[in-house]
Amino acid sequence: MSSPDGDTVTGAIIMISRAAAKLDPSSGAAYGVALNDQRQLTGLGRALDAPPYSAPPKAPVLYIKPRNCFSFDAAPTVLPPDLETVQVAATIAMLFVRDLTRAWPDDVWSAIGAACLALDVSEPIDSFYRPAIRQQCRDGFLPLGDFAPVPESWGEIVTTLDGREAHRWSLDRLVRPIEALAAEVSGFMTLRAGDLLLVGVAADAPLARRGQVVAVACAGLPPLSTALIAEARR
Amino acid sequence: MKRARITHQGRAQWAEVVEDGAALIGADGGRLAASDVQWLAPIEPGATVFALGLNYADHSAELGFKPPETPLIFLKGPNTFVGHGGSSQRPADANQMHPECELVAIVGKTARRVRRADALGYIGGYTVANDYAIREYLENYYRPNLRVKNRDATTPLGPWVVDAAEVADPQALALRTTVNGATVQAGSTADMVFNVAWLVEYLSGFMTLNPGDMILTGTPQGVRFVAPGDEVVCEIESVGRLVNHIAGQP
Repeated sequence: MSSPDGDTVTGAIIMISRAAAKLDPSSGAAYGVALNDQRQLTGLGRALDAPPYSAPPKAPVLYIKPRNCFSFDAAPTVLPPDLETVQVAATIAMLFVRDLTRAWPDDVWSAIGAACLALDVSEPIDSFYRPAIRQQCRDGFLPLGDFAPVPESWGEIVTTLDGREAHRWSLDRLVRPIEALAAEVSGFMTLRAGDLLLVGVAADAPLARRGQVVAVACAGLPPLSTALIAEARR
Repeated sequence: MKRARITHQGRAQWAEVVEDGAALIGADGGRLAASDVQWLAPIEPGATVFALGLNYADHSAELGFKPPETPLIFLKGPNTFVGHGGSSQRPADANQMHPECELVAIVGKTARRVRRADALGYIGGYTVANDYAIREYLENYYRPNLRVKNRDATTPLGPWVVDAAEVADPQALALRTTVNGATVQAGSTADMVFNVAWLVEYLSGFMTLNPGDMILTGTPQGVRFVAPGDEVVCEIESVGRLVNHIAGQP
């Protein structure tokens, strides 16, 4: 792990305050991880031995949500005309305030400065074979809640649609818990100050329709909400 | 004009490249000899970086794939770039690391639902990337997966950004990669499956492209594995000549 670096720590703290002040964009990357849900892996079972996968995943299955996805301050999520239904996967984003490289799990928490709720919005897709940029990276497809200090324990992550509970899960389902995930990722790429790591998504995350309001709550973190709205006519 | 991201006397800055790359005009306006600066990857913080897989038919055939009907696009994080003259590490457990010379188109102004006929007007400049792959780490999940394509400092980028106005036709540029002087890739951007204008239309059709975002447009055939000590040069006509050295794992 790198030693504390004044510039990167300052940058990350600026990002926290920017996020808190609802300013966008940040200069970090947001990394998500698929197939980190044990229930999902168990359900897929032998299907991962068949083409196109041919073997279960070895390394964490990472993807990137770029800056056009970031959305703050409960801003509405605009669905384009060709997309009426999206998957809304509630998760937790860890904000790195120091670079993490080739770390052990015990090192991970010293590099994480804050956490927030995140809603990983995507067009439903069954395949994990090719990167799903078109499905995952539309504008505003990563609403983020306000950042807060990392809680001492993780409660259930509860998603409601129009006020009615639609999904509930906990990080107990993660194949790789946060420390193991970040440490393993840092073995082949640095998680840099300012980066976000979304710790995993539940395979049974709900679908939501245009017109619905999605809200996410988890004890210890500021709540998140976004309305799914139609794109204004051009 | 060519702009480079450099460090000089401990200060990172953008500089204008002059005298065919022999010198630069630094942020303070003074002349800097190229030998006195270190080249950084010419990328803006926060930029979204797209990269194309299988975007040259000959390279697809070489790898045993049919050219895709929709583009194979993946994203890269900021950790993976390294400047001209730098080094990229080959891990101790990997022998199948190979260079990929790619034309990089850099978005110059915000693009949303741009038509192909107008698309090149949204490109502000071009640079060269060497998008190394390490085939031992390929897995069939979001392939090419980040363990292959997003390792630290394994995507040399540069040496500089050439203004788009100085590249008459981005689809008529010779590309060449040499390893220790021997040519291992030689192609033309004319052979892209999806060209720059097509990609700007496609990407801006479902997401906003912001100034500074980059599109690494894929590589022609020529898979040649490299080893520590090798010097790898990726050169694109009218754009630049990007040098990288392969380092071993300490």
